[in-house]
Amino acid sequence: MNTRFGIVLLAAVMFCGCETQPKRLARATADPSRPIRVVATVGMVADIVRNVGGDRVIVTQLMGPGVDPHLYKGTRDDVRAILASDMVFYSGLMLEGKLTDMLKKVSDKRPVVAVTDSLDRTAVLSEADNVQYADPHVWMDVSLWSQSIAEVADALSRFDSSNEARYRAAAAAYEATLVRLHEYGKGVIASVPTKGRVLITSHDAFAYFGRAYGVDVYGVQGLSTDSEAGLSQINSLVDTIVDRGVAAVFVESSVPQKSIMAVVDGAASRGHRVIIGGELFSDAMGAAKTYEGTYVGMLDHNLTLVARGLGGTAPPGGMQGHLNQGIDH
Amino acid sequence: MDNELPLSIEDLTVAYHRKPVIWDIAFDVKPGSLVGVVGPNGAGKSTLMKACMGLIPVASGRVRVFGQPYHVNRHRVGYVPQRESVDWDFPVSALDVVTMGLYREIGWFRPVRKKHIQIARDAMEQVGLGDLENRQISQLSGGQQQRTFLARALVQDADLYFMDEPFAAVDAATEKAIVEILRGMKREGKTAIVIHHDLQTVHEYFDHVVLLNMRVVAHGATADVFTNENLQKTYGGRLTLLDQATEAMRRSQNR
Amino acid sequence: MIAAGQLIALIDFSTWVRVLTLADYNTRLVVLATTLLGLSAGIVGSFTLLRKRALLGDALSHATLPGIGLAFLIAPIFALNGKSLPVLLAGAAISGSVGMLSILMIRNLTKLKEDAALGIVLSVFFGGGLALLGIAQQTPEGHAAGLESFIYGKTASIISQDAWWIFGAGAASLTVLVLLYKEMKLLCFDDGFAASQGYPAVGLDFVLMALVVLVTIVGLQAVGLVLMIALLVIPAAAARFWTAQLLRMTLVAGLIGGVSCMIGSLISAIVPRLPSGAMIVLTSAVFFLASMLFGVQRGVVIQWWRRRSTRRRIDRRHVLRGVYELAESVSPAGEAESGIWVTTTALMQKRSWSTGRMIAGIKRLQDEGCLRVRQQDVTLTAVGLIEARRLTREHRLWELYLIAHADVATERVDRDAERIEDCLEPVMIEELELLLEHSTIGSRVPTSPHEIEIAPSSTGGQT
Repeated sequence: MNTRFGIVLLAAVMFCGCETQPKRLARATADPSRPIRVVATVGMVADIVRNVGGDRVIVTQLMGPGVDPHLYKGTRDDVRAILASDMVFYSGLMLEGKLTDMLKKVSDKRPVVAVTDSLDRTAVLSEADNVQYADPHVWMDVSLWSQSIAEVADALSRFDSSNEARYRAAAAAYEATLVRLHEYGKGVIASVPTKGRVLITSHDAFAYFGRAYGVDVYGVQGLSTDSEAGLSQINSLVDTIVDRGVAAVFVESSVPQKSIMAVVDGAASRGHRVIIGGELFSDAMGAAKTYEGTYVGMLDHNLTLVARGLGGTAPPGGMQGHLNQGIDH
Repeated sequence: MDNELPLSIEDLTVAYHRKPVIWDIAFDVKPGSLVGVVGPNGAGKSTLMKACMGLIPVASGRVRVFGQPYHVNRHRVGYVPQRESVDWDFPVSALDVVTMGLYREIGWFRPVRKKHIQIARDAMEQVGLGDLENRQISQLSGGQQQRTFLARALVQDADLYFMDEPFAAVDAATEKAIVEILRGMKREGKTAIVIHHDLQTVHEYFDHVVLLNMRVVAHGATADVFTNENLQKTYGGRLTLLDQATEAMRRSQNR
Repeated sequence: MIAAGQLIALIDFSTWVRVLTLADYNTRLVVLATTLLGLSAGIVGSFTLLRKRALLGDALSHATLPGIGLAFLIAPIFALNGKSLPVLLAGAAISGSVGMLSILMIRNLTKLKEDAALGIVLSVFFGGGLALLGIAQQTPEGHAAGLESFIYGKTASIISQDAWWIFGAGAASLTVLVLLYKEMKLLCFDDGFAASQGYPAVGLDFVLMALVVLVTIVGLQAVGLVLMIALLVIPAAAARFWTAQLLRMTLVAGLIGGVSCMIGSLISAIVPRLPSGAMIVLTSAVFFLASMLFGVQRGVVIQWWRRRSTRRRIDRRHVLRGVYELAESVSPAGEAESGIWVTTTALMQKRSWSTGRMIAGIKRLQDEGCLRVRQQDVTLTAVGLIEARRLTREHRLWELYLIAHADVATERVDRDAERIEDCLEPVMIEELELLLEHSTIGSRVPTSPHEIEIAPSSTGGQT
């Protein structure tokens, strides 16, 4: 008798407990007395927010340089930062594969924005092997990526409408810089002879790059760094290198180099010496506080390195002369 | 004189997880005797045998084999373990198993040679398995498996043999064969210590007996020691004396 | 599936030729390296399988993870590059070995058995490894997410350095196993006897595990986690179906391991988009299935076939003896002869068996030339008579033997033997025949047909 009563009492308390907790809506407006606390997942997204938000935002970036966002698993510190934040920005298109669930869960209490949401869907490529999934590496096409700036500006303006004007102005300035970068890129890549205009990297992160700047792109592994190459893929890459006289192949900061080395050895066995043209930034930017640690620097580095590696002409210092001369990190 | 005694045990205690399994074991074995070790299940007979050979650690006491610790005179001892101690599905032939008795003699890293195989063959003939050399051991009957183990011990040409339940669940022909071998050993002045379960045949097979139930109830010549009174003390009621004592001890420790 | 089919159809002949002649450097390298690895893993895996530690490779591979994390974290203290392969491999090898020791300790010091010890070490070490990697991926210089992919290699990107490591590890393991062959054989079969002989059982166990560590570490970074585990278990398990001799089993295991790797790599070179590691695992699984079904020693199909042959042999015996005995009973002289017809109904009642089996038996004997069939009746032919006489005689002699010598019967009786003379001495047989004449059970024993030199025409159903 006592046990039954106890159970009923417990159930009642639990129900009551649920009732008395009020459902809090996401804060719709910013607190003007302090900067907005923003959490951004990858550096490319954080960069946009920093440029548009200026000193009205403090950005916490979850994934640092050299971190592979396809495989990144959120830690407790990340969760704490997100819960303490006012807004969350992420890239979307399943780039942050393992984090996306967590991000959706916190979206009822704060704005959680995927910066690629506003992109023209017809411009988004799908995965080579699996047409159901989108290729998330949109930042490799500067002009496409700059469309995300508007998304960020919109979100910030909605949240902090009193500062809308300055957000719009900063966004416009950033967009202008990116237009310059895009033109620079087209120019230097065009200087590479067409036959040798082949970009071979560790994984399929450069499809947008290829489309935007006119390069044929091949990755050894598939779209995610988790996948595994087949021997026939390696062989056909070696064929491509030899047939088209490719001068250089490229490694990436966040992916093991071994698969590229196998391809280099294969080409060497057929008498074609292909060098490793350098390390590209694919899924993450360079070290913080360096030029390559910004989005502009990241793409500038990639474009310049690729152009020079494949036999084109480009200034060693990049578009603005800021590039680090020693390539090895 | 200790030097000549095949086996001399003094005050031996073996414990497992703080609980004594056998204790105060003390007896000597004279050369040329056939000693039967009998006792109820769980009395510690196998434990005793393994402790003599250093296969399990000894809590206290001393075991001397031909006057020295076991590992010194290891080469003079042959061992026939219980049949259940191996997986008979293993991909070896009967001859392979018998040859294993010679590995120590062959030495580390050296291969098995023809002369060793011949010795193994002879031992198999001796136990009546001459035709079954290349038979895979899973295809042998229980008695044949037992005789394979016996042959493996025989190739060592030892002076002292330890046998763990060699007569368990074997057919009449095998039992006859084993008894013949034991008697042959006795004639050659060798000693055998055999764990045995069939009380009916103790008189017939063994000239000495050790009655064991966690401690030695009695030991000596079968004619003197294998009496009803001693058997009563050894096999007693369902829960033996020592079991009750150790139970009480453990309960008081856990309080 | 359709896409796969279209894919395969698109592969042209030149690709086949190119791959099968090993024209490409990468193909050659991958085939060579994986074949060597499969060979070594198959042989080492045989011993671990027999030592009842088949999943050791699994536990070991998972136990390497904390070592990788630790090596990465503490490498800067020694001014080493945390991501260089030798550093990570050293970490993996050390933590793998610690894992092996833990398994040994758990097994020897507690009451837990192999499988529990393996499970504990596997999960605890792997969990610890994941935690360490979580810490590692937060370090300032980053570059650490997916650290395990540095160690768990991808088969298709094997480079020549990998091949040399594999060759070295394989040569070392083979040398050790050749030197310690008989010791390992004894250890795996009867470790108690080994210990009584003075062999250091724990030491030998450790050597065996060290070989597994060596092959696994070298293999992990060439072909990855899952493939390594597969190569240590599947070939050895498959080999067991082919032979009951240890040496042959290890060689067959090595062969299956090597060939699976070769075929798997070649397939992944021919068909696009197939990861090489996965193809090797699938190939070895196919070999396992084939072994399980058709393995000469224990294959399911083979055993079914043998049982079928045995059943047919027994049916043949029953039909012939049945007809013989029925003929005996209706014959005026009490002696069966060719030409005496008996009905199938009567035969059916002689023992409890299905009509189908009896009829099938009769048909086979008819084909053999031992029986003539006429509607519902059968009769022995001259040839059949001889055979039936022999079978009946032996049956009755065995029956007598079992009674007269019950105590040693189990040793000597072999009902399946070609001739009773192969099992019992002539003296014994004469004695039995004498007994049978004087006994009241059964009827007369027909004389031995072996005095007549004519043998039955076909012995298709016999052994």
